[in-house]
Amino acid sequence: MPSHLEVVDLKVWIGDKQILHGINFSFKPSTVTAVMGPSGSGKSTLLRSLNRLIELNPQARIKGSILLDGVDIFKIESYKVRQRIGMVFQEPNPFPHISIYDNVALGPKLHGLAKTKKELNDIVEWALRKSMLWDEVKDKLHEPPARLSGGQRQRLSLARAIAVKPDVLLLDEPTANIDPVNTKKIEESIVELAREHGVTVILVTHTPQQAARVSDYILFIHEGRQVEAGPTRSLVLNPSTDLLGHYFRGEMM
Amino acid sequence: MADTRLLKDRVFTVLALVLSALGILPLLYLLITVGYKGAGAILRAGAGFFTMPPAPPGDDNIGGIAPAIAGSMVLALLSTATGIPIALFTALFLHEFRSTRYARIIRAFLMSLLEIPTILVGILVYTILVLPLQGFSLFAGAVALAIVMLPYVTVYIERAFDSVPQTYREAGFALGMTRMQVALRVTLGVARRGVLAGAIIGLSKAFGETAPLLFTIGGSRSGIQVNPAKPGDAMPLLIFQFASTPYANWHDAAWGASLVLLAGVLLVYLLSRKIIGEVNA
Repeated sequence: MPSHLEVVDLKVWIGDKQILHGINFSFKPSTVTAVMGPSGSGKSTLLRSLNRLIELNPQARIKGSILLDGVDIFKIESYKVRQRIGMVFQEPNPFPHISIYDNVALGPKLHGLAKTKKELNDIVEWALRKSMLWDEVKDKLHEPPARLSGGQRQRLSLARAIAVKPDVLLLDEPTANIDPVNTKKIEESIVELAREHGVTVILVTHTPQQAARVSDYILFIHEGRQVEAGPTRSLVLNPSTDLLGHYFRGEMM
Repeated sequence: MADTRLLKDRVFTVLALVLSALGILPLLYLLITVGYKGAGAILRAGAGFFTMPPAPPGDDNIGGIAPAIAGSMVLALLSTATGIPIALFTALFLHEFRSTRYARIIRAFLMSLLEIPTILVGILVYTILVLPLQGFSLFAGAVALAIVMLPYVTVYIERAFDSVPQTYREAGFALGMTRMQVALRVTLGVARRGVLAGAIIGLSKAFGETAPLLFTIGGSRSGIQVNPAKPGDAMPLLIFQFASTPYANWHDAAWGASLVLLAGVLLVYLLSRKIIGEVNA
């Protein structure tokens, strides 16, 4: 089910410090939106607000609304929100105590997505194929993920997230610590998930090249304020503010 | 100048070596004495040491410590079966709700329990269980042992939970898990080695503690007793009571029981290393 995720005047404080000063953006289904901005601009805070993970921090305070297909996610149980909005983190973090198979199967099992063992196997294979990991792990599904490389473990994290068939997928600099080959595979997965499966993909990235390669839209944040937003093509070719131009030319971190 | 620094370095190294050797000397002495005297006693008593009750005081024979072995097993089983689940869930609660007022009260309570002399726990159980039930029992001893192990095991397991990297918990929440699911499937799973180690600390407490048993199990050792409702014996209690008598054959039985106890605790330790190693692989 393709889903719209709309952010309306979102303001976030951590303790006394205001991190986000009113973000307004509509993330569209079947597209990839790159959230960009210098370090400390509030990108991760925005992402963590979208699935309410920010609430794990007792210091966090949120104002404004986030609408998932028109329904405010703060009016739904947080764990139900997160069933529909998956996330991949910057550090690969497959669960170390269970097998590769169980890492992917855990979500579908908990949410009752598979009625039979066969259905569960199919979901696991589907998720691993979509993450371009299947061929590398199909003979060691029941081994723990410890021996996989960093890039493989990140693709496993991706497989785990998409196995519950989320409508929205959040990625927090997923390739920041990953080599180019693995980065390419993850980028291909992301694009395919958006194009073929209608997933609303929101990608926090530091690299303008990556944004240009995979995103349809760019949301540029600076010091917690939305500086620019629009189609990737037009923003990359002629950024309307100097700030974005500087950032793309690598003159601002 | 460089020479004095080198000299200081040498002096400190030697000092550290000597002091650490001083630290392990008592342990070595204990292991050797218990091994030597215990093995001698068991050899003289023969296989009956593990199957018979003790001989009468002053007898030429040593007899056996079977009631104590059986009692220690029952006590260890009962006390860990009650103490460890309680400790586990207390630790989970403290970990998940660490900053709440209730958690702070529980933590303060556990910390003071840690400081209470174990003999007082024995007396407490004596007044709340032994007196009302009108009799000593292995069950009362197991309750006392469970109370004694509770703070140690809880604190250890909670520390294991705290050492689970936040990123795994976040991954669990991001997958749509409830708080309870994250606690049981992620935190508990990732920390399973620490949990097991905590359980083993509890088990060795259950085997080794003496004071909580003084007022609870009765020290009845005329025959093997495994019924928790009846009074029974335990190895540390037998050692304590026999060592305080003037009888040579009971001294021998106490030495033999010390070796069995030591070997048992060592076995539990080795077994746990193996289990932990396998879980880890």
